[in-house]
Amino acid sequence: MKNFWNKIYDWFNSRLDLQDVVGFIGKKYVPVHRHSVWYYFGGVSLFLFIIQVITGILLLFYYKGSSDLAFESIQFIMSKVEFGWLIRSIHSWAANLFILAAFIHMFSVYFSRAYRKPREITWLTGMLMFFLALAFGFSGYLLPWNELAFFATKVGTDIMTAIPFIGTPIMEFMRGGEDVTGATLSRLFGFHVALFPGIFTVLLAVHLILVQRQGMSVPIDMENIPADEKKTMPFFPNFLLRDLLLWLLVLNVLAILAVFFPAHLGEKADMFAPSPEGIKPEWYFLFMFQTLKYIPAQVLFIDGEILGILLFGAAGLLWTLVPFWDRRSAKGQSSRFVTYLGLFAVIFIIVFTIVGWLA
Amino acid sequence: MKTFITMISIFILFQPNLFAQETKDQCYNCHSALGDKVSTGFQNDIHFQKGISCAACHGGNSRSDDMSVSMSKSSGFKGIPKGNQKSESCIVCHSNSDMMSKYGSKLVTNQNELLSRSVHGKSSIKSNENIIQCIDCHSVHGILPKTHRRSSVNPINIPKTCSKCHGSAVFMRLYNPSLPVDQNEKYLTSQHGILNKRGDSKVAECASCHGSHDILSASDVRSKVHPVNLPHTCSKCHSDAKYMKGYKIPTNQFERFAKSVHGKALLEKKDASAPACNSCHGNHGAIPPGIESISKVCGSCHALNAELFSVSPHKKIFDEQKIPECESCHGNHYIETATNKLLGVSSEAVCSKCHTENKNVKGYKVARTMRYLIDSLDSASKYADSLINSAEQRGMEVSDAKFKLRDANQAKLEAKTMVHSFDEEKFKEVVEGKGLAVTNFVIVEGKAAFDNYFFRRYGLVIFILIITFLSIVLYLYIKKLDKKYLKT
Repeated sequence: MKNFWNKIYDWFNSRLDLQDVVGFIGKKYVPVHRHSVWYYFGGVSLFLFIIQVITGILLLFYYKGSSDLAFESIQFIMSKVEFGWLIRSIHSWAANLFILAAFIHMFSVYFSRAYRKPREITWLTGMLMFFLALAFGFSGYLLPWNELAFFATKVGTDIMTAIPFIGTPIMEFMRGGEDVTGATLSRLFGFHVALFPGIFTVLLAVHLILVQRQGMSVPIDMENIPADEKKTMPFFPNFLLRDLLLWLLVLNVLAILAVFFPAHLGEKADMFAPSPEGIKPEWYFLFMFQTLKYIPAQVLFIDGEILGILLFGAAGLLWTLVPFWDRRSAKGQSSRFVTYLGLFAVIFIIVFTIVGWLA
Repeated sequence: MKTFITMISIFILFQPNLFAQETKDQCYNCHSALGDKVSTGFQNDIHFQKGISCAACHGGNSRSDDMSVSMSKSSGFKGIPKGNQKSESCIVCHSNSDMMSKYGSKLVTNQNELLSRSVHGKSSIKSNENIIQCIDCHSVHGILPKTHRRSSVNPINIPKTCSKCHGSAVFMRLYNPSLPVDQNEKYLTSQHGILNKRGDSKVAECASCHGSHDILSASDVRSKVHPVNLPHTCSKCHSDAKYMKGYKIPTNQFERFAKSVHGKALLEKKDASAPACNSCHGNHGAIPPGIESISKVCGSCHALNAELFSVSPHKKIFDEQKIPECESCHGNHYIETATNKLLGVSSEAVCSKCHTENKNVKGYKVARTMRYLIDSLDSASKYADSLINSAEQRGMEVSDAKFKLRDANQAKLEAKTMVHSFDEEKFKEVVEGKGLAVTNFVIVEGKAAFDNYFFRRYGLVIFILIITFLSIVLYLYIKKLDKKYLKT
């Protein structure tokens, strides 16, 4: 049997020069320390993204991206297609868990200063993927064309108009017109299944190649440990199998959520119906939505909503560019300001998400 | 000279108002002396009786008998008021409670306010004046108190007064061409109109229902004759036992109507399409529908029921025995929702009034079967509904079946209509062919949804067991690998 696998390997190796890659992986080690657990969230995010791609493709076999047929096609998937309900529920839950895992992964990288030189590009590609994940969530939310999705998209795209000068053109670009219509659905469907996955795949490839080439970052305070006290484990197979174990556990959680809390469809969107009370965005937008509610209508001479959008925009930019302004981490020193800023962001997001959820 | 004196004497002698009352009102004195018809009429006017001079409306100086003074512009003489000036002359006093009490009047002073908000207070085609002025109804120079039998606004005369405009197609075409102009003709055929013509001022006339100064269009929800308000308007008289004493008709119609299916829809749900009093009794020609016409009245809304009844075996018998058709089973003012209990042979079923085990046996059997069928459909649809709802609550996609269940409800309604054919076969066709066929399909779908629900649960358990087993194996393998790595 071993001989059989060797023959196969040799066949590929003689054509693809695999010995370099195998040699590289064989010599790759992952640092082991008290914060190692956070390394796994990148893998979990990747796993959930793969699930999204697979279930998304399966849904695409039956989904019809037009306002006349979208709702009915999902209804068909849920009731007539074998395991259609399961595929849709998993796609819906995996989307939420993916963003949650991406949040955790981002904050773990931030607090361990893993973005510092030479991993600035890895951080930037990660941040862009994070923003794309949010865009995936926003664009996918409208696709069932139900009442809740319709009005949430209306509210979400309306907020865009608060951005000075470019807000209204952006809103119209997203909606494919002045109002949320079938054109918006077709547009967001295109973004969700073609544009975003294309960009995401390129970013993911760059991100993974960089992670493999540069290896796992070690937190600053662990760097000064004497070489003989530093612990490592082989990337292959020890770390990879641990990743696989976690993936299995996540798969279990996903199956339980999908079966016990299946995705509902609700009522078909009616453009002429009044918006239902208490429209809220998905949980990952809730902290921003709730904050905008608390900002007064007018702050000095600026419109409150515009101020909120500008502040979130500035905060997002500042966060994305952290490798470039956090000079201390580049020198191997930990900055308290960066830590407090990160803690503030975590607490702010959690508190406002909970407040928004309860409101 | 003698001849001249004789002529003057004859002229003076033949003056119509020679013996008329001399007043301080020089306008009246001169105009009546000249034999002016207007001033003759004014003699009986309530305003004249109260000592109000012509100048109160026409302006001028009523104390001077010199025309150049009394009718001069400097003394405020207006002449004949034009357009809205006509009403404005009245408003001066009639909007002023002090002025009214000065003349001993207890009349309200908001008539003009009400009139301006009413349908008559809108601009006329001349646009510079309102559609009607006070004098159009109350007359002029001979205005009498409302209680006076000759007053144009006395209850006995009101229909005639209103029909001056409302009976004229030419006039009404200017403002509301779709409004009929035969209200007065119809009114004269109504019980109200008949009694009114006999001089009964207690019976309803136009103002009793429509109001007087505050008349609004019947389609205006504030109007006293809007369907939602009409039962209250009628009940003002018809529920007042003291007022209705002498007419020998019941006074509990409103009380009963309010509890009925029609009353609840109209008065509680404010459904203006539900029948009000006038829907069955007529409005201007209001009269109780007779035995022969009752099914026509109900059939104007319940057309299918009436049609089925008219070809049913009951029709002939009801006609022969002069039994009122719809009313015999459903009542009149207090019509309850037609539930299954009306059908069948139990004590509360209306069929059992005529059909018993020993009397009219064929109908007894049909009623019993029909009740059994409709009850079966009811319980089957309730079961299907609960099955689908609980499957939905468990997260199952059952919208197709749920939608289908509407057909069962439709069949129930159809069956309730089909009862009026009193034909067992036709009834069975609806209940079994439509209703039960749908409910059975929905029940099968509901059960399949439940099976699927349990399949998901069992599938999940098996999946979790497999994944957990794989995880344990993997965990043990990792531990083994770790040990091997540490040794090296």
